[in-house]
Amino acid sequence: MRTSGTTRAAPAAARFRRIAIGTVITAIYVFLLTPIVIIVFTSFNPTEANTFPPTGFSLRWYGKFLDSPGFVDAFKFSLWLGVVSAISATVIGFLSAYGIVRFLGKRREMGQSLALLPIMIPQILISISLLLALTLVPFPELGALIVGHILISLPFTIAGILASLEGVDEQLELAALTLGASRLRTLVEVVIPLIAPGLLSALIFAFIVSFGDVYIALFLSGPGRTTLPIEIFSYMQWESTPVVAAITTVQILLIVALGLLVERMVGLRKMMRV
Amino acid sequence: MPEVETGGGWFGKALFAPIVVLYGVFLLAPISFFLVMSVFKYSPLELYIPTVTGDNFARLLGESYYRAIIFRTLRIAALTAVFSLLLGYPLAYFLSRTASVWRGVLMFLVIAPLMTGVIVRTYGWIVLLGSQGTVNKILLWLGLVDRPVKILETELAVLIALVHILMPYMVFPLFSSLAGQDPNVEKAAKTLGAGRIRTFLEVTLPLSRSGILMGSALVFTLTAGAVVTPALLGGKDVQMLGQTIYELVLSILNWPFASAVASILVLCQFSIIFLYFRGGRRRAN
Repeated sequence: MRTSGTTRAAPAAARFRRIAIGTVITAIYVFLLTPIVIIVFTSFNPTEANTFPPTGFSLRWYGKFLDSPGFVDAFKFSLWLGVVSAISATVIGFLSAYGIVRFLGKRREMGQSLALLPIMIPQILISISLLLALTLVPFPELGALIVGHILISLPFTIAGILASLEGVDEQLELAALTLGASRLRTLVEVVIPLIAPGLLSALIFAFIVSFGDVYIALFLSGPGRTTLPIEIFSYMQWESTPVVAAITTVQILLIVALGLLVERMVGLRKMMRV
Repeated sequence: MPEVETGGGWFGKALFAPIVVLYGVFLLAPISFFLVMSVFKYSPLELYIPTVTGDNFARLLGESYYRAIIFRTLRIAALTAVFSLLLGYPLAYFLSRTASVWRGVLMFLVIAPLMTGVIVRTYGWIVLLGSQGTVNKILLWLGLVDRPVKILETELAVLIALVHILMPYMVFPLFSSLAGQDPNVEKAAKTLGAGRIRTFLEVTLPLSRSGILMGSALVFTLTAGAVVTPALLGGKDVQMLGQTIYELVLSILNWPFASAVASILVLCQFSIIFLYFRGGRRRAN
């Protein structure tokens, strides 16, 4: 029979194909992950040079990190900024997402696209324009930095909360309203508890966006309000010792841990809208 | 339920108040103002002189120094988009078709680098590409070169790092357009006698067009606005538009000219969004 030839050839061809695909995909992952893995190894290097493979094991650069007030202050400031802007972006994101789901009707699609506006705009443009606004209108500079971080994290909090709200049965809210609860009370006692994991994920994701940001802070940071990425950026323009590796390793571990938490709760893909 | 609907009016509007104020006052108004400045005159004493002039654009397009920066930026942005597509497509295709139990983990590994931020990944490439770096060590060990080659401070370094940093933005839209395809379409093509390659070229690839457009548009515009990566990896010779804007605003304080340079970025963005909407909207998942 004519097919017997192909069925005999099939396993070998299929195996070859699987190996080929596996090799290509592995190579792509090596490319994606090597720069990050290498930082972690470099941070334990005992010598000055940014070399890999490391020549030994030492915590010298972690000590150096803790001894440099510039980096420690920037780290603390980034944490603070991340928390403040994440809380604001989550609250505003929740209100907007709830409005989009329940009150826009047919215009929902449009509302959703408008809400995600900041990701369509180059971040450098958002940042410069906020700096310009500062030079024209008296406004605390720290406020501009916080607003900038809220702007870049809002699209993600809205996307994540929208995804969670889609799982909420509107009948529950209508029941509460019919039983005499006010709109606000319904929101606080019915809706928020139902989407608590979504809200927490939005909060964490907004923190991640804020903590990793460099473009907003590029124009809006200054004395007393320098974020960690900006401190690293200025440092690296002059020198680059493994102290940067130690700091970024701490950052990587923090971010990956938080990312895993979001992945566990609602899934990162929902925040990224994929 | 009439009594439920009443009160929804003001409440519904109040929900949008914060975001409308935020976007209007802190996003659209300042950006519009900044872009309008591109047609104003520069003054060393003031932010601008409100006289309409075409000088900024004439200078930007007329001086060979700035023309070179524009072309370099567009070239790097286009190459970054192409290489991100070449690497991102197999990855997105694999992730959308695999039945592996590791799919969730593999997806996480694409998103995780993105979350660490630009600075972290740029630093990783400094370690890898330096004269003492891993890449040079491997090249020496393989005997391909006899002394370390200069990779840092070249356009190649910037390109490699930007592809690495922005590739995930290519993978996500590709993944959604590939995962959203009806598997029966591919099956039908195969039943009708099309081989794997032909099925891919004539069915899968055209159906993922919106993902390709969206991903390329995203990567292109993100590259065009890059500042930090070219500044750290490219040195003086690989200046891009983003750095030019940065210097004009923070050191030279020529806001109107900075605005003209930025409007090139916005123009890129708009033409690409236009292309994207003409190419068909991404299907709602």
